[in-house]
Formats: sequence, structure tokens, C-alpha cells
Amino acid sequence: MSEHPNDYIKPELMACCGAREIRDGDRVIVGTGFPTMAANIAKHTHAPNSVMMQEAGSYDAVPRRPALSVGDPCLNPGAAMIGGLVEIMGMFLQRGWVDVGFLSGSQVDKFGNINTTVIGDYYNPKSRLPGSGGANPIGSLVKRVLIIALHDTRRLAEKVDFVTTPGYIDGPGARERWGLPKGTGPWALITNKAVLKFDEETKEAYLASYHPDSSVDEVVKNTPWDLKVADDVHETEPPRADEIRVLREILDPNRMIKIYEGRGYV
Amino acid sequence: MSKVMSMKEAIEKNVSDGSFLYIGGYIARPPFSAIHEIIRQKKKDLTVTRSNAADGFDMLIGAGCVKRFIATFLSLGLYGLARCYRRSIEKGIPHKIELEEYSNLSLPMMLMAGALGMPFVPVKDMLGTDLLNIKSFMGDNKYKMIDSPFDGSPTLLVPALKPDVGIIHVQQADENGNAQMWGIGGDCRWGANASEKVIVSCERIVSRDVIGLDPSRTIVPDFKVVAVVEEPFGAHPGYAAGFYDVDFIFGSLYQKASNTVEGFQEFLNEWVFGVADRTEYTQHYIEKFGYRQFENLKARFSFSPPVSYEY
Repeated sequence: MSEHPNDYIKPELMACCGAREIRDGDRVIVGTGFPTMAANIAKHTHAPNSVMMQEAGSYDAVPRRPALSVGDPCLNPGAAMIGGLVEIMGMFLQRGWVDVGFLSGSQVDKFGNINTTVIGDYYNPKSRLPGSGGANPIGSLVKRVLIIALHDTRRLAEKVDFVTTPGYIDGPGARERWGLPKGTGPWALITNKAVLKFDEETKEAYLASYHPDSSVDEVVKNTPWDLKVADDVHETEPPRADEIRVLREILDPNRMIKIYEGRGYV
Repeated sequence: MSKVMSMKEAIEKNVSDGSFLYIGGYIARPPFSAIHEIIRQKKKDLTVTRSNAADGFDMLIGAGCVKRFIATFLSLGLYGLARCYRRSIEKGIPHKIELEEYSNLSLPMMLMAGALGMPFVPVKDMLGTDLLNIKSFMGDNKYKMIDSPFDGSPTLLVPALKPDVGIIHVQQADENGNAQMWGIGGDCRWGANASEKVIVSCERIVSRDVIGLDPSRTIVPDFKVVAVVEEPFGAHPGYAAGFYDVDFIFGSLYQKASNTVEGFQEFLNEWVFGVADRTEYTQHYIEKFGYRQFENLKARFSFSPPVSYEY
């Protein structure tokens, strides 16, 4: 097998991009789908001492099937600790013990603010979305937020319709002014075209790497703000053989990740 | 004194039009049998709350029972957006519910404050977002921003919640209401204890002696409990750890049905109004899907090693 198998699909590449942002020893709060796959790839490759938790109450679970919700019964047997929302969201997250969290949303803006509440006017919405759930506290309180999003000019926005989850709010210093903990906030925005990182000074998302089959021009064209490009911008490293092996042989033998292609992650 | 009664009686006696209800469970142990009974009795103008609400709340909204929802989230999870909820907010069908929105940190903390008799609790989330810019029926009492009296830092306070009735489904309880739960907890412990009184539905009733063999698992003490209902399969299509799995096939059935108003009504006619109680519901499930599918939902059998509380 070559070092970079060439039969991967874009969601697999995105899961690998997420995995690479996780460091050994990180405590990671995950939902279902992408986050779990990314965190598990990391755990089975470069970050064996990372550990996952789910907001509904499970810590260091050993599921026999991919969890289909954060309260899935497969997260019960074998977990190291089971509590509830107050333990995970309060005792772990609010207390500052969680390093990484994954989020996604219907809209994401240049400061990494996320909308999962409404499209259109709040009181007379075009489309009512689920609401915050655990997204706001995760975006408020984990050290590094990894955002997964579709890359087009509807999903990415200069400004979201409703800020459900804080990114850098309206720019430098805003999180601190509001009293959010120091050293927290968006870390990377992983899309189906690119990986964007956040500028330390302006707090705006900039292009760090474009995926194979995309380009700087294509990413810039599909981003609705004046996207800055890193001096060392480069092509995203494709999935490595060890990452793909973990994904397909251990984590996702039925390749459920393909459903993301149907949702536009191509 | 035994508080054992039927679900019909428990809801009739304890839930009134206009009641404020905490309804526990998220995939884990949702009290579906109670939710169906509330719909059957056509309760209305309810205020309801829970973190991460799902199909049960969608159903109550679609059936027209809900006036106000203190919310963090409502979706059908795997099956996408909640259909009745969207129809209510977007189109006023059957009517537009009023919403007050928090998060899965702040709402459980508000219930914890209610349970502990605290008037409010400081939280570190929601800051800088539109969740603070929208207010509904709670008005200025949705939250307060203060400078911390200790270090002057901006601090968000959210109010304690004290529902009139907490409704939970647990694995086992005794006749007086000592309720024992295991597995993923969600906000159940705090939601039940924040409430003035609690309806406990359970997979099995056990003796007080059995409760005493493993008292660490008790999440609600008997004095808070006004009704105990033995309701096997009472959390279906959610799960009860150690008893049965979540029913993904049924979840898909609900999603398809609730796509339209007519489909949702047919669903209620079949699964709520068409059956008298949980026993008939379970019989109908077995008749419709076969005993094999019902058996397939049953949990594996794997006891934890016993622990000793002796000294």
C-alpha cells in the first residue's frame, strides 16, 4: 500500500485533518460522526493517550458500534466514568479540563462564530434549526475548537444570522471582554475544500491549506469574505495509509462516513 | 405507604393544564409512556423543559400540549430536524410555542440550582452570543450580568428552575418512590430534584430491601415522589440501560410520519390514542413488527460484579 492511498473520499480526508489537530494526552469532547471518527483516528495513531467524552455523561467509553447520538447506549458499558451533563459540561468543561471540542453549524463566519439556531429573523425564521445544545458551552470553554463546515458562500458567511456559539465574536479582545476564559476559541475550520486557521492578531480565519483537487483560487472564490492566504499555504496532506487503515478496518468498516458525500461534503 | 398507580392516574392526579414540567431522558430513559398519557389526556398550556430535547418533546408540541418551552436544543438526532417543532415556530401549526433558550451547560446548572435551593447560579457560557439578545416570557429574568463581587469580572447569572412536576423513567424503584438509575444521566438527577414533586416510571418495582443493597444508585428519594408507575418498555423508542436498546427503526418511522401534519396525526391515532396504555402499546408493537424485533431490542445480559457496602 502506498503511503497515501488514492481511493479516499473527501469526508475521510476531513476526518484526518481533524485528527491531526489532536495532541497526545488531549481530553476531547465529541459528538457523533466526524468528531468521533477524527478523535478515534488520532487515538489509534499519534495520540494514544487522548481520551474522549460525550456531553450526556460518558467519559472514556469503549463502544462496540459507532455511537449514533451522544446518549447512545453503546457509550455505557466499559466507560471509565458515567455521570450526566453537570459532570461533563460543568465539572470537566466549565472547570477548564477539556482541550478540544468539535462543532459544526449551518453557518460559520470569519471569526468562527456559529449559527445553529435560525436562518432568517429569529422571531419569524425562514428555517428553525435545533438550537445550541452543547455547542455554545463547548465553543465558549474548550481550549481549541475545531469547526467542520461545508465550503460555499451560503454556509460560510461574513456575518452569521444568529450567533449561537461564540467564535472570536466581533474580533480581537472580544472573548476576554465578555469574560470567556483565556486561551480558548476557534483553532481550525476544516471544510471540504480547505483547512482555515485563525490569525492570532486579527482573529479572522485565513487559508492554511487547500485540499487536493482544490486550489487557492477556488477556496478564495467560495469564501464570502476577503480571505487572507498564509505565506506558507500548501496542499493538504492526503490521508495516510495508517489513518485510512484505522478508519476502515477499526472505526468505520461499513463506511458510514459516505453519508457525508450525500450531504455535500465532496 | 405505597404510591404505586397507573400512568393514567399519575398524570390525572398530578399534571394540570398550565403545569410546568421537567421531563427527563435523552435517548437514555425518556419517559415516553408518560408523554403519551399527557397527550391522551389532552393536557394543554404546559411549560416544559429539558436539555437536548428530542422526539418526545416534538410530539408534545405537535399534539398541541405545549405553550412554553425552556429549551436548549430540539432535533430528531440521526433523523435530522424536528418536524413538529419547526411547523410550530415557522408556520404556527398547531400554534406557535413561546421559547426561552439556554445551553446544555446553563440549563442543567439552572436545574441543579433549583434542586439545591439556590436562587440562581453563575455560568461561564452564552457570553457574547445572541442567546443573550433574545428574551421571551422570562423577560429580564432570563439572566442578569453582574460584576463578580469577588474579582469584578463580568459574570452571567441564570435563575434556578423549579418545575411543578418532574417526570422521569428509571430502571427500578420501590413502592414509595426511591428511584434508582444507572448509565448516562443527562440532566435527570437535577431535573427531578428541582421539581416540587416527581412522577417515577420504572422498568420494575423492587422492594425497599433491594434498594438498600445498592443505595448509591438512588437519584431521587421517596419523599419527593408522588407516583410510582411500573412501566416495562416505558422508554421505548429510547433505551433503558440493561433492559433494551434504542429503536432506530421506530425513530425512522416517527420521522417519516411527522414530516406532514396528516402523517403525525395518523401516528398519534395509532400509537397514542389507539392504545389505552403501555401494555397495549407494547402488544401493538409486537403485533406490528413481530416478536423477533421486540426481542432484538433486549439488552445483553452482563451484570456488574457486586460491591460490598459492609464495614
